[in-house]
Amino acid sequence: MSSERAPASPAQMVHLTIDGRPVAVPKGTTVWQAARQNGIEVPVFCYHDRMPPLGACRMCLVEVEKMPKLATSCTLEAGEDMVVRTQTDRVRQAQQAILELLLVNHPLDCPICDKGGECPLQDNTLRFGPGQSRFVETKRQFRKHVRMGPVLVLDRERCILCWRCVRFGEIVAGDDALKGFERGYHSQIATPAMEPVRSKFIGNTMEICPVGALTSATYRFRSRPWDNRTVQSVCPHCGCGCATTLNVRGADLTRTRPREHPEVNDIWLCDKGFFGYEFVGSPERLRAPLVRRDGALREATWDEALGRVADALRSTSPEAVGVIGGARSTNEDDYLLLRLFRGVVGTNNIDFRVETAYPQPTSRAAWGLPVAIADVERADAIVLVGCDLTEEYPILWLRVKKAIDRGAPLVIAGAWEPEVARWAQHRLIHRRGGEAALLRALAGGVRAEDGAAASGAPAEAIRAAADTLRAAPRALVLAGEAALEQPGAERVLAALDELCAACHGAPLGILRGRGNSGGAQVLGLLPDMLPGYRPLGDPSAREAVAAVWGRPVPSAPGRTVRGMLEAARAADLEVLYVVGADPASDYPDARAWEEARRGLRCLVVHELFLTRTAEAADVVLPVLAYAEKTGTVANIEGRVQRQDQALLGPGVARSDAEIFVDLASRLGSPLAVASWEQVFAEIGRMIPGWAEGARLAPPRPGAGAGRDGAGIPDGPLPRPEGALALVAGRRLFDRGTMAARCPGVRGQAGEPFVAVHPEDAARLGLRDGMPCEVRSPRGALRLAVRVWAGVHRGHAYAPRGYDSAPVSVLLDERGPVAVTVRPLGAP
Amino acid sequence: MVRQLRQVWATVKGLGVVGRYLFRRPVTVRYPDAKPPVQRRYKGRHYLTLFADGMERCVGCELCVIVCPSQSIFVRAAENDPLAPHSKGERYAADFQINMLRCIFCGFCEEACPTGAIVLGHDYELSGYTRESLIYTKDMLTEKYPGESGRDPHREL
Repeated sequence: MSSERAPASPAQMVHLTIDGRPVAVPKGTTVWQAARQNGIEVPVFCYHDRMPPLGACRMCLVEVEKMPKLATSCTLEAGEDMVVRTQTDRVRQAQQAILELLLVNHPLDCPICDKGGECPLQDNTLRFGPGQSRFVETKRQFRKHVRMGPVLVLDRERCILCWRCVRFGEIVAGDDALKGFERGYHSQIATPAMEPVRSKFIGNTMEICPVGALTSATYRFRSRPWDNRTVQSVCPHCGCGCATTLNVRGADLTRTRPREHPEVNDIWLCDKGFFGYEFVGSPERLRAPLVRRDGALREATWDEALGRVADALRSTSPEAVGVIGGARSTNEDDYLLLRLFRGVVGTNNIDFRVETAYPQPTSRAAWGLPVAIADVERADAIVLVGCDLTEEYPILWLRVKKAIDRGAPLVIAGAWEPEVARWAQHRLIHRRGGEAALLRALAGGVRAEDGAAASGAPAEAIRAAADTLRAAPRALVLAGEAALEQPGAERVLAALDELCAACHGAPLGILRGRGNSGGAQVLGLLPDMLPGYRPLGDPSAREAVAAVWGRPVPSAPGRTVRGMLEAARAADLEVLYVVGADPASDYPDARAWEEARRGLRCLVVHELFLTRTAEAADVVLPVLAYAEKTGTVANIEGRVQRQDQALLGPGVARSDAEIFVDLASRLGSPLAVASWEQVFAEIGRMIPGWAEGARLAPPRPGAGAGRDGAGIPDGPLPRPEGALALVAGRRLFDRGTMAARCPGVRGQAGEPFVAVHPEDAARLGLRDGMPCEVRSPRGALRLAVRVWAGVHRGHAYAPRGYDSAPVSVLLDERGPVAVTVRPLGAP
Repeated sequence: MVRQLRQVWATVKGLGVVGRYLFRRPVTVRYPDAKPPVQRRYKGRHYLTLFADGMERCVGCELCVIVCPSQSIFVRAAENDPLAPHSKGERYAADFQINMLRCIFCGFCEEACPTGAIVLGHDYELSGYTRESLIYTKDMLTEKYPGESGRDPHREL
């Protein structure tokens, strides 16, 4: 694609004439692109500038001098002294003929088609078409529409067979979701046996479909393009922070579409981004503050609820106050949270990392990508360690796929086989707990045989992968939650450092965090950090913050989430303030949370819905969702982006920022805040380089940072006979607080399950789909069995993010757990 | 003298006009007891027409909404239940409202309608005591029986 090519030197330019206009373009440019770059429009259907040309639709025919026939400009490379004409009678006749033929089988049901009004076939027919058809015979007929799963509606009658969707699945997403079947007149787009489509990117095919053949089931008939108001926003789900456009009709959010952002999501979006918006308009949203009275939560006024919170904060010593969450708020909300709790209340017990029991200090292992998302596609080799990329950060996969297409090898290490494993050159599926040994073997620190013995991955594969990585000059190492969420995480980090050093100093990305956790991290919603990644221990940094706030910043480091829960159990923490988080479901030890809750005097929760945490709270404050407030967020690469308000909130819900400002006044230290812009500017005074669109990359740990426990040998998890080691992974489609209220996401998630290896299944008498009880020393869950060869032998995989069956019930914050899986009779 | 004669002549001339019309049929009608006929193409209140089998013609395409110069139409479409469809095809108008206070009776909606669903009938007695009563809903607009509107939905299709 020419857009990616480096600017050519004048010697590599070719000169041609298009419509009598002399044009110079770099060598390799197609005639269509040359025309386009010079403002000459040639209609297309099959060509899409993110994919190589195909020449299937014949719409882009042009006349080229000395060529006997018309040529397809999208496939024709511009040559020296070429003379191209796009407006001659011959070209116009050809365009009319092509459109007439395309419309032969097109049902022209525009009035009932969701694409009507934004349809390239409509537009091109109006501009270039014949105006009437001579075709009077019966059109090709299919079943009018077919629902291909919860989000995709296929209408084959409308299809003009441009192959964009098929090629998207082959070239861009690599999931081969839709394919072409039959030949000639009977050609159709479908899946084998018309099964529901299995893809995480199918929303993009609806976007690039030039007709209404692929439409969205959630947007179906809800609106017309001219009804929609568009508002720029940022996707709130995974940490990638894809740029989106919200479509609003009246008070309804009708759909989310990707907004072009070459540095982040290009023009794509994953299906959670596409279909994960309906929770905003859910009738279950909290509409008024709730206060616990006589043992039950009852509606209250803001004055009563905030009065109660202020009393609790006033009557408690600062060290006994803790704040968790902040990854679902905007940067401005989070900054005011800091001003309130660090400045006014005076506590450092602040941590946004709710979903981890093993937090590594940010100064040594900051979450996020040290390189830009756009740079991922330029890596020469990519190592994925314990990261299920399409499930956790799907947009990054599209970049990795581009790197693979360029020839970069992908090496995957993990306790289960991710969906993208078929694209990997080396797959190292290992035992849980064997990460450090495996990585050290990859780095060459220990022999491959030792790494194989400790991890269960074959030595041959380790050796081959190590050789591949050493040959790559610019590798990229990406480690995820599955590798780092364990007691030996320090050893894994040390091994990752070793691997990066062995890969010629490859950058290490730690792919963790969701929503605005990038912003929470850069702002320092952490027990030991200040805004701008500066450590709390640095007196000059503390003074700089104190100078802006006009209040001192406490110097003693605070507690992490785990530390706060431990302190609550020991009655050292009395007030816990939870901002947009659900530790009762998401903290990886449900029992630890329950015990901590019993030790708390007051639990305050900012929430959209009555989550498990909110149900147990003393005060629940209804807040605004991402589409209801203007502000900025930062993603895993630290890029600051703005999202605009599209809707009004439900009931009397307020933004987090308003609540913090109100509380500060009640505590006697008003924060003078007029607008989010003012807060944004104040953050800018504290963090150098803070601006919209700027990237504040997470710091790379210094060479001398040193990890604890480097070189300690790793062993397999000891477990009772017959038990399986539990590994918990994230799924893109889950049923968490927000996703469960989005039919498109909820429907694709399906029921919660536990996956076991076929050999273990046979041994334990488990069959696919059978209900079973999964029991750990901490608790038990009823799940459906899924027999899956992708999980390592002796392991059981259970997804996180199902609020009805939270895997945290089984997990233990003190270390890995072994579970027994017992069948509960036939399905 | 001449002036007075002119005045007399003017009076006679004026009475001549009265006399001329005195024995003609009056053009006034005893409205509301009698109603004057309107032209065949008169544009009065809207109807949503039905097919002869009682199915709705409207498919909720919203072309009338976008063409309406006074933005007086609101349509919300929905998907037909295949077992009990409202209209022929997948889509029908779940809600259809016309604000008669805003409507200027230009007839563009009729022009734009691809199925002949919306027609402007001959009723002109459109008044009410509240603004709300002049927002005509789908129930009010849909014909009670096929052909109630008195217009031919096929005229140009």
